[in-house]
Amino acid sequence: MKQNPKLIAAVVVLAIVLLAAGPAFLPPFYVRVGQLMLYSAGLGLAWAILGGFAGYASFGHSAFIGIGAFAAGLVENQYSSLPPTLLLPLGLVTGALCCAILSAVIAYPILRLRGTFFAIAMLGVSHVGAELTNNIDFFQGALGLNFPPLAPAAMDPAVFYYELFLGGALLILLISWLIRRSRFGAGLFSIREDEDTARMLGVPTERYKRVAFVVSAVLTGLMGVIYAHSLGYITTDSVYRDDTNLSLIVYSLLGGMGTLFGPVIGAGLLVFITQVILGRLLDFHLFATGLLLVLLILIAPGGVNGLLHRKRRPA
Amino acid sequence: MDLIAQTLADGLVLGGIYALAAVGFSLIFGVLHVINLSHGILVLLGAYLALLFSEALHIDPLLCIPAVMAVLFCIGYGYQRFLIQHAVDRASVNSMLLTFGVALMLQNVMIWLFSPDMKSITPSYAFNSFKIGPVNFDAVRVSALIASLILLSLLAAFLRYSPMGRVIRATAQQTMAARLCGVNVRHVYALTFAVSAAFAGAAGIVIGIILPFSPNDEGTWTLNAFVVVVLGGVGSPAGALIGGLLLGLVSTLTAQYIGPAFPNVTMFLLLVLLLLVRPHGLLGNAFAPSR
Repeated sequence: MKQNPKLIAAVVVLAIVLLAAGPAFLPPFYVRVGQLMLYSAGLGLAWAILGGFAGYASFGHSAFIGIGAFAAGLVENQYSSLPPTLLLPLGLVTGALCCAILSAVIAYPILRLRGTFFAIAMLGVSHVGAELTNNIDFFQGALGLNFPPLAPAAMDPAVFYYELFLGGALLILLISWLIRRSRFGAGLFSIREDEDTARMLGVPTERYKRVAFVVSAVLTGLMGVIYAHSLGYITTDSVYRDDTNLSLIVYSLLGGMGTLFGPVIGAGLLVFITQVILGRLLDFHLFATGLLLVLLILIAPGGVNGLLHRKRRPA
Repeated sequence: MDLIAQTLADGLVLGGIYALAAVGFSLIFGVLHVINLSHGILVLLGAYLALLFSEALHIDPLLCIPAVMAVLFCIGYGYQRFLIQHAVDRASVNSMLLTFGVALMLQNVMIWLFSPDMKSITPSYAFNSFKIGPVNFDAVRVSALIASLILLSLLAAFLRYSPMGRVIRATAQQTMAARLCGVNVRHVYALTFAVSAAFAGAAGIVIGIILPFSPNDEGTWTLNAFVVVVLGGVGSPAGALIGGLLLGLVSTLTAQYIGPAFPNVTMFLLLVLLLLVRPHGLLGNAFAPSR
């Protein structure tokens, strides 16, 4: 099938317009579900730049959600007299900057580890982050942090944050797409396939890994800042969450590891299953997520994308 | 001076228990190269089983160890043979995620069965203590430590001297060569998993008599096991003992002198430092290359 760039561009624009106009037609509950889907999709995409492309599956990305959220919150409370149109960019920049600096520092030791060691070390990072946020008074993690309301008066806050999440997710999707097409992206894929061979062939694996780590962390942090605003009030436990750590992997696994739209499909499906289908059965969430994970690994290790491709190929 | 002695003694007692709780994780890691994220759940399963047994039969919880170990041995064998084996042949991250999924499901089941509240096992001698010089020892903690050391020695002897232990070590060193010599590798994998589940269960009992526990603790015990194994080195009871003692000392010293909220931070810094300086742990790698 020949791809027509004009047609693709038209479809993309139409999809974005439909998504942006969505809240006008949806009942409030589904706007909330849509928020969660976009938030999860954005996080899943950011995670996949490191985990899906380079094969470094992080088990602790909620650390960057937390760092971004708390950095933004502390700064915004400091300068709360500024108008809301300046406050949000200030928060986003601070959150991104803190994530960039911290991730660049820990990238040196932690990216020397591979596979499961890297995964668990990242889990450690998120636990340590949570512990420090909780116990150092300056961060106010145990007490909680209020965020100034930023939504314009004319707009329903739920819709406002829906659009913000949409913008964030689209930005991350665009960045992932650009990375996939670039030499850098090819380098990341070669690291996933065989890091030692890639290095031998002249791919600057160390630098590529570090850049991917920092990009992934910054984008995760941005989504974290928006998420914290949409909550309005956060404590350590509402951003440093172990279930987020896990979900990010499940999104890619469910949608297809290393594919562009894999995390989006996975996030959409999982949020739909847990929020809409199992919405009333809160006691059942852990069990359902666990069962889904087990079934996925046993039956469809390639995710939804893998299943589709297997069907398409003649036996 | 007395405070330091007391802190060190407490740390060593705690460390012995950490070592027992980690040894099964270490064995699976060394032989199957699987990170068993459901390890903490197996530990808690042992604790809850001991709670049920000792309340139903009115016996000392430490006497439940053989029964609990037998139950977990069977569970572990089936778990590996029918679930994990399917994921082992693929990427290592897959088996890790599989065990994580199982851990989530079992944690949920435990919350349904036993409620999310803290439970504890209280033996009859729970409030006895004695003194050696200026240092104070609780009877429960000492008996827990002794039970840990005995079990660790038994496991070390089993791996060192029994024919089955030899087969397990052979499989860990060279899976292919072991297979060529007629070892049924799948059976050995399942058996290793069964042994390690049994020791996790025993650790659960020992933990249960000195600390309160709830289904939400499973992550802590899995992470502790991982840290102990990375500190001490993969696959050997001696490595687990060294790692466990070190972890116990570090966490009690931190809690005493830096602040009760920071043991995880120092533990993690120590871990990263060690991974950078000595990637195979203090006792080197007992079995195959692992990183």
